[in-house]
Order: sequence, then structure tokens, then C-alpha cells
Amino acid sequence: MAKKARKAAATRANGKAKTKLNTRDQKTMRDLVGVADRIVVDAEKKRDPYFDIPTRTLSNIKYSKAKKILEMGKASNRRQLFNLSQAKVYMQSVLVASGSKRLIEEGKTTSLRGLYYMLKHTIEGTKEETFDEQSQSDTVIEDMEVTLNSMREELHLYAKNAGSMVGPIVLNDSGDQIDCSRMGSGGYSIPSIVEPEIIKFGKCDAKFVLHVEKDTVWRRFNEDKFWKTHKCILTHGGGQPPRGVRRLLYRLNQELKLPVYCLLDNDPWGYYIYSVIKQGSINLAYESKRMAIPQARFLGLRSSDYQRCDLSPSVKINLNDTDIKRAKQIANYPWFAHKKPWQKEIAMMLSNGFKLEVESLISKDISYVTEEYTPRRLRDRDWLD
Amino acid sequence: MAASQRDISVSEFFAKNRHLLGFDNPRKALLTTIKEAVDNSLDACEEAGIIPEIWIHVEQTGTNRFKVGVQDNGPGILKKQIPLIFGKLLYGSKFHRLRMSRGQQGIGISAAGMYGVLTTGKPVKIVSKTSPRKAAHYYEIKIDTKRNLPVILNGRGDGEDIPPKEKGDKYIEKHGIEWIPVDHGTRVTIELEGKFVRGRGSVDEYLEQTAIANPHITIHYQDPECGNGSGEERVWTRSTEQLPREPKEIKPHPYGVELGMLVTMLHDVKTMTLSQFLTGSFSRVSQAVAKRICQTAGLKPRTTTRRISRGDADKLYHAIMETKIANPATDCISPIGEELLLKGLHHVVPGEFYVSATRPPAVYRGNPFQIEVALAYGGTSSANRIPRDVLKDLLAESDARTMRQFLTNTFYGLGNDAADRIIKEASLRPRSSPGKLKPAEIKKLHEAMQNVNLDAGQTMNVLRYANRVPLQFQHGACAITQSVMNTNWRAYGLSQSRGQLPSGPVTIMVHMASVWVPFTSESKEAIAGYPEIQKELRLALQSAGRKLAMYLRRRLKVKQEGERRNVFLRYLGEVATAVSEINQTDRKKLYDQLLVVAKKKTAQADVKLDKRGRVVEESNGDLEADPNVLIVDDSEMFAPSTSENTNGQKST
Repeated sequence: MAKKARKAAATRANGKAKTKLNTRDQKTMRDLVGVADRIVVDAEKKRDPYFDIPTRTLSNIKYSKAKKILEMGKASNRRQLFNLSQAKVYMQSVLVASGSKRLIEEGKTTSLRGLYYMLKHTIEGTKEETFDEQSQSDTVIEDMEVTLNSMREELHLYAKNAGSMVGPIVLNDSGDQIDCSRMGSGGYSIPSIVEPEIIKFGKCDAKFVLHVEKDTVWRRFNEDKFWKTHKCILTHGGGQPPRGVRRLLYRLNQELKLPVYCLLDNDPWGYYIYSVIKQGSINLAYESKRMAIPQARFLGLRSSDYQRCDLSPSVKINLNDTDIKRAKQIANYPWFAHKKPWQKEIAMMLSNGFKLEVESLISKDISYVTEEYTPRRLRDRDWLD
Repeated sequence: MAASQRDISVSEFFAKNRHLLGFDNPRKALLTTIKEAVDNSLDACEEAGIIPEIWIHVEQTGTNRFKVGVQDNGPGILKKQIPLIFGKLLYGSKFHRLRMSRGQQGIGISAAGMYGVLTTGKPVKIVSKTSPRKAAHYYEIKIDTKRNLPVILNGRGDGEDIPPKEKGDKYIEKHGIEWIPVDHGTRVTIELEGKFVRGRGSVDEYLEQTAIANPHITIHYQDPECGNGSGEERVWTRSTEQLPREPKEIKPHPYGVELGMLVTMLHDVKTMTLSQFLTGSFSRVSQAVAKRICQTAGLKPRTTTRRISRGDADKLYHAIMETKIANPATDCISPIGEELLLKGLHHVVPGEFYVSATRPPAVYRGNPFQIEVALAYGGTSSANRIPRDVLKDLLAESDARTMRQFLTNTFYGLGNDAADRIIKEASLRPRSSPGKLKPAEIKKLHEAMQNVNLDAGQTMNVLRYANRVPLQFQHGACAITQSVMNTNWRAYGLSQSRGQLPSGPVTIMVHMASVWVPFTSESKEAIAGYPEIQKELRLALQSAGRKLAMYLRRRLKVKQEGERRNVFLRYLGEVATAVSEINQTDRKKLYDQLLVVAKKKTAQADVKLDKRGRVVEESNGDLEADPNVLIVDDSEMFAPSTSENTNGQKST
């Protein structure tokens, strides 16, 4: 059956200009058609069609001590068409598959929001919309990624750009030469898809990568030309880094062998950003193997910095209940649980009762962070693993 | 002072206190008059074993003046009795006996006559005929209120005789006597001050409810509009030829006797032994029971009644109350019966589910009584189901000034609120005239009437009956209404606010049959709440409620199944389209195959559903087999409602 359908797809006389599919697209296409064929077979045999979608929760996450990354377990959720609570989301899943198929066929990519609009329409004979909000299609897209074992890029979808890069490196982005040392104050905006087909690395003089949490800190480093003086690539991910940024960091680490250092806030969210960069995220554990950087290091801020750097008391931000809860949760994650320095670090923050943002260093001096703090940390090799 | 003390005649008393008898306002006076006359006619027919047929003519003779004529096909009345029955208060055959009948005291019809004479000065006219071969009697009478005696006005104080056969017909025509030719029967014509209304507490409502509780009678009804030629006669035809079982007369039960009454009885009887007195005057007192009573009272069974002193009577009274005596025989009451209840209710109230429940007879204060309940659920208002051409005719015939008026007047159970919603949905002007609607507007109105949900905000309609007579007033004071309110209908699938009637498209009919119905007043409008009566009411309502709950649960389940299937169906098309886009499968074929799977998955819903999501017969298992339950499916339901709309249409 699958064979027949594939043949039909291949021999289809379509008036539209068809772009030639590369091997990756062909694989994705095969998977998509496979999903559709399964539905047809089920319908023929009068069975109710279903997908088995790997579960994306903490319960289905395993921390591989050998690889030092998060891996997804074997548990999956069955999504059935003839189940009252799943019928709609099943229908949405099939729609996403067909939308992605169209994109691949026409050789185009679209944003998550674009796909949402592409698939959103009123169901015939009702007043109901296929999708009510973008959040619905976003989750379904992630479901389809896991189910098909393809990345979002392979489905020809991307998220909005979030994250910038600057440093002594030359890139080739879709045929354009980009010298990241000449990007002005704004830097190179890291796209959502940074696969080797799109971004190729050229000449690189950098010795390491410094990843900071937010745009504001990144600007400080860029303005002070930190990357020039220290020969590094400077990136930020606008808080929790999107997949494009993580994938780029991974490639810089893997292909150019650059160590990655993170300068993040001293709070549970900062810890988790580090954890995601290092081990991978819970929600996207299936992507860990191509994104996680187990060698990433945590430069700061540290709970001890308040005293060590003699910061003014007015920069303290008191921990609230969610902070405390989240901190305890993180401390219990298996990949943190056995690391004594981290346990000490989290315990200290909790006993301090306050958190610190990277920006707080500005109370010492505007360029304290670039001229004093970071260089010293790097020099002393004073970081958390 | 002493000189001004004098007797008060009962007539004078009631003439001054007419509200006690239900003549408190002109509207009610008209209804009470008709009601008393009809009740008497039905009692007379049933006692004589005749299947009743009643003619009612209401004719307007002036502003606020109406002439009411009620005729039956009863046995007729003996000449001597006529003036007394219609012209003397508290004269009758029903007061002294213990037997179930509509009338009880012998006040009603004579009070109506008295009211008529008082307000219009016109005499009460009575025609009565006992046999086709014998002469009929014609009387015109007034009441001497001072002496509570009838005064005969025609035939020099002796009434007139109408000869039988053709000669009589001529006589009737010549003298302008109102009479519908029957072999035997009685007609009473009273002219009175009144007010004719429709809706709640109206004559129409009374007759309709009477028809429900008395499926064996036929009523011909001409309202005032018939008289001036703008309306038709309305007829309720009997749905059974079977007369209700004739109730037996019983002696009083000892438990129902009070001390004063006991003393009177002892005094009134001929001299006999105490034992003879007890066994002879009461029901359920055998020799053995009498002996036990005497023992408890410390009296000898052989003492003669003459020698029982006040003190002895007191002892005797307490001894009776202490002795265990069997409940009175219950053949003195004749319930409507479950089958006829269902029939009657179905005939008049449209619905999809009917259930009836009859309690075994019980006793309060020594009086046997029995409670019957019938319930109709669904009853989508006739407005929801009316065909377009009928609606068109109704609109053309109606003389209602506004659309709202037309809707509320025409359709049973449709309130102002619902009418407004229909008008809004049809985007008509609220004040547009029903007669002047354009065909397109009629079409819109028809669609709106089908689409607007009229069930919402409808409260339960409670029909109360005592000895087959509908009770239309003082529902708040009545034990029946109170029992309905105190029943937890939420447990039976209806919504209900605390201390309120439940809401939903429900009509409930409650009948209390008893040898003596404890009314709260002489106008017989509300039943008093004796604990025994309340208990029986509660049990009967619960029994009907349980079956309703069964039906509603099943209906809900089927509805949910149907909704479920709808959910699947909604998405199948999308799934089929998307799949065919991916692998170029034939969309139609895939869709049909998925449909088959969907049907298989929801097969249960398929079996149980008809086109409107209602239950079809096969699925009703237990309920269907229950003789006290009637489930009506759609097509069947339509038949009575259309006929109701065409024949029974109020010709406003």
C-alpha cells in the first residue's frame, strides 16, 4: 500500500513547478506519506486510526550518565481519531502533516505562526475553527516532530529569530558571506534553522564561545569589544535559548571545538537555561543528541558573588515562593542531584534568600562585568560544571 | 339590644359572604357557576349509569352580564325536587352520605342561582326531563334569602309542564325555552354578572382540565364569541366509553368521629344496645371489636344507648381511639385509573413521555382516600411543531392586535418571554399585526418558531384534582402544590430552585379521590394538608419521578452518544482531505471508510437515535414494558397536536 501511494506521489503530474527534493526532504516526505498510508490502511480494515506519540514529560526522560545528556524514554501516548477527547487534536495532527508536506513539496519554509494561518480554517458545516490559537498548532507541531522523528527544520518550519551573535568568525548563510566581526552594535541575528545546508562555517579565530542570558548583557560585552580582546564568539538567546541558538552553539562546539561558557543570572531560571544548554530540555529531549553540549560551563553569577564582589545590598531580589519551589525541583533533577558543587550553590542561594541578575554587577562599575568579573573567572578557571 | 337579636338564614349568610363560595369577583363568579352546574350534571349522570354528555353555552347579554346554560343527558330530576335543589341552600343528597362524589355540601348550584338573581334580577331557569315519554318540567325560580326557600315564578307558582314529543317541541319554540333535544336530562340557565377571560383560571382551562380527568365525558362548549357568530363550538370528545366504577356508600369509620358527633349519634339512634349501636353505625366494627371497645371504656356491651351519659360517651370516644380497628373499605372511592390517566393526559397535553402512578387507598381521620399522579414530559409547545400552512390560516383568522398577543393567545404554554424571543429571532416588529404579514415574513416566523428553544424558563405545570374536579385557584395554599414543591425533583433529572416548582417542559396531574375531600374552604379551591395526605402525595410523586428520571437518564445518554458521533463526523472530512493531500488517496473513498468505522464505534447511538435525537422504541426496554408509561415518538405526537390546533383553536 505504502509503495503504491509513493509511486502515485512520484508520478503525479502536477502543473506547479516542483522543486527537486534533497535527501533529507525525501526522507521526511516518506515519513509523512507513511503516516497518511497508515490511516488509509486502518480505514480499509475498519480499525480506528491512531498515532503513538512519545511522551514529552519528566516521567519519560532519562539522564544518560555515559553521554551526559537527557534522552527520551520509550513511553508514548496513543492519539486516536475515535476518542472523544482526542478527535480534534488528531485532526489537527493530520492537518500539520499535510501542511508540512505542502511546504516540502514547494520548497518553502514558514514560521510556526505562518503554518498556523495556513491550516486555520472553518470546519465545513460547523462554526468551529481547525485551530483556535497558535499555541494549539505549536504543540501539535512538536508532537509531529517526535512522532516522525524529524526536526522542525525538516518539516520546513522555523520559529522567529531570537538571539544574536558576534565574534571573529565568517559564516556562509544561504550563500551570503557574513563576517560576524563586522556586525555593528546589533550583531548577527541567529536564524531558527542553522543546519549545515544553510549555515556553513568559514574562517574562525575564536578560542571559545561566551553565551550570555539576555540582550542587555550581550550589548555591554559587544560595546566593550570583549570578543575582540578575548577572541571569542559572543551569543545570547533572549532568555531560554531557542533551538536555533542551541543548535548553533552545538555546532560551534562540535565542529570548531570551541568550549562554551555561560554567563547567566543567579536564579532557578538561569540554572535551568544552563541545564538546557548542557543536557537538553525535558520538552525536547528527542533533540538532545543534536543540541546538548555536555562540556558547557557555568561561569556565573554565583551565590557567593554578592559577598565576593562586595555588591550593594540594593541589588538583591528576594526569592518568592515559585523561585524556591523551582530551585528545589532543579536540585532534585538527576543530572544535578549528584553534583556536590551545584547542590552547594543552590543551597546557598536558598539560604541567602535572594537572587542576583548579571546586570547587578553594574552597581560596581559599568564595565565591571567585561573588564573584571568575566576575565577573572576565565583566568581562574572558576566555573561550575 | 335583645330585640335586635334574630335568626340568620344560611342564604343571608352566604349572600353576604359570597367569597366563601367562590363568587368573590365577576371572573370567578362565571367560572364557579359553570363549575357547579357541570359538577352536578356529571354526578347525576354517573350515579344513574349514563355516559355523560354536557353542553355549555355562555352568552353575553350586556356589559358584564352573561347567560350561562348548562345541559346534561342525565336522568332528570323529579318535579318536586327541582325547586329545592336549585333554590335552597344546603339541600342535597351528598352531604350526609360517605361516598365519593364531586359535590359535597349542596350549596353550589343554588348559591350560583342566588348570585345570579342578586346581580341581575333574572330568575334561574330549569328544564328537566326524566323520560322521552313523560312531560318535561320547566321552572323559573328565585331564592327567598330570608327563609332560604325557593320562590317559583312561572305557572302561578307551580312551574310549567312541557308535553313530550312534537307537541313539546312546539311549546319550547313558542315560549323561547332553551333546550337541546335529548331523551332525558336537565338544563339550568342562570344569568349573572361576570367577566369572561381566557388563560389561567378561565372557563376554557376548567373544561380542558375536566376533560383530562374525565376521559369518559363529552363536552360541547360555546363561548361568548360563538354566540356572536365569530367562533366555533369547541368539543372535547370522550376517549373511553367506560364509566368509572361506581363508588359504594360507606358508614363512617370510628376513627373519623369526634366526641360531639358521637354524642349526637347516640342520641339520634333508636334504643338499642351499645354493641348494636357500634356495629350498626360504623364501618369496620365487628362484634369482637365492639366488645373490645366496651371493655376498654369500662362499659357493658349490653347497656342501652339511652343510658350512656356524657361521661360515658367521653370514655367511649377515647376507647375507640385506643382500639385497633381495620381501615375502612376502599370500594367507596373510585380512582381514575392509570390507563385512563395516561389516556386523558396524552389526549390534551402534548408530550413525549407519560407516566402515571396510583397509590393504594389510605385513610385520614377515618376517611378513605387515594392519590393518583400522572406526569407528561417533553410537550414541546405546539408552537414548535405547527405546520406552515396551519400557521398561515391562524394568522389570517386571528384578530390579535400584536404579534406577541397572537403568539401567547394561540399557543398553549407560551409566555410573553418566549413570544418576544420568537419575534426577535424572526426579526419582526413586535407591534406588527398578525393579519398583515407578508409570505416571506410568515416563513421567517415559522422558522423562528421552530428554532427558538421554548423549554427554557418553563416551570412545571401542576394540574390539581379533587374527585375529578379541577382545582384552579389558591394553588399556593394547596397540599398538592406544596408536596410537589417539597419533592426533590433534582434527583429525578429536573432543575429546581429551593422551595419552588421544578422547571422544564413538565405537566403533572395530581388527583385526590376521597369520600370527603378536606377543602380549606367552601369554594373548594385547595386541599388541606393532613399528614396522611401529604405522605401519600409524596410517595406518589416520587414513584412517578423515579420513572421520569429513568427516561431522562436514558435520553441524556443517547443524546451524549449522538453528540459524540457528531464530534467524530465533524472532523472526519478534515482528516480525509488532509490525508488525500498527502498521499493522493481518493478522498471520498477514505471518507466513506472512516464513516463506517465511526458508525461502528458509535453503533449504540445509531440504534437509539431517530432524526431529532429522540429515543426510538426499541431502546426503552423496561420503561416500554411498564403499563404505566407511555412513550410517544415524533410522528405519533404530531397527530393530536395538529387536530388540537385546527379544531380546538381558540377563535380569538
